[in-house]
Amino acid sequence: MIRIAAVGDVHLGPEAQGRLRPALEHLPEHADVLLLAGDLTRHGTPEEARVVATEFRDVGVPVLAVLGNHDHHGDAVPEVTEALSEGGIQVLEGDGVVLPVDGHRLGVAGVKGFGGGFEGRCASAFGEPEMKAFVGHTIEIAGKLQSALGSLSCDIRVALMHYSPVPDTLHGEPLEIYPFLGAYQLGEAVDATGTHLAVHGHAHAGCERGVTPGGVRVRNVAQPVIRSAFTVYCVEA
Amino acid sequence: MLNPGSGEAPEYIAARIRRALAEDPRTAELGIQVIVKGAHVYLCGTVSSQQCKEELNRVAQEREPTLTVHNDVDVVEAGEPGAPEVLR
Repeated sequence: MIRIAAVGDVHLGPEAQGRLRPALEHLPEHADVLLLAGDLTRHGTPEEARVVATEFRDVGVPVLAVLGNHDHHGDAVPEVTEALSEGGIQVLEGDGVVLPVDGHRLGVAGVKGFGGGFEGRCASAFGEPEMKAFVGHTIEIAGKLQSALGSLSCDIRVALMHYSPVPDTLHGEPLEIYPFLGAYQLGEAVDATGTHLAVHGHAHAGCERGVTPGGVRVRNVAQPVIRSAFTVYCVEA
Repeated sequence: MLNPGSGEAPEYIAARIRRALAEDPRTAELGIQVIVKGAHVYLCGTVSSQQCKEELNRVAQEREPTLTVHNDVDVVEAGEPGAPEVLR
């Protein structure tokens, strides 16, 4: 069994420093790796990213992350990424990593993701340039996710993103905002690549468990959903 | 139905408060539900700290100073998890 801990939407800033640390002290007893599913900060500033880096430094297992929309808000993605990296957090965006775990190879590929909606009720790249840019951003990111997942040589393949690849895990959110919470193209990428598990955040009022049209388990690990510092999934290698 | 205090539809007041909570840097909270009933505003959702919860009050009250703000927002739990889920 490979033990994967995950949490998203921790939204840390100086006022919340140390909030997760007591639970993280025992992380190696629970998990082999920790995945952070975006929205690590509140405003996407380097100062907040340094709080995140301190919070997850030396937790005893590898820490992999993607950024979320809040982490982009300050227009300082390179500086935020650098601050997280200095804390030992590997930030994924269109790339992946393979970790040796208990004689097996765990592959994780990550992207931020984006919105657009789900099959039959989604935006199209048509009309105004703003609309084409919106949908084009989703299509580009989903392509990167598929490429990154497909390139992993591993026994267990995990997709990490901030936005949701399925509507299942959005139940509880208002239907009207689903197109701002995820996109079916992310699910397509997961289904096309033999992926075992997809993890996302972003939907604070959603639910934890869902499945892609192709049968891959999806888990929404937004902290308000899992109601703990992290949650753990054991995946059979 | 217009709000008795301002003469406005409560939906527009709620929309303005919700945008303020998202766009004001003191809050930057996109997931707070805002309900306006008469002269009362009700806030629901989850935030990451007590300070974040208190800032919601300040920003909502500044936006609509004549209304009474009721803050029913939770601060998220950050304890250790329960049993892991086994995926086969």
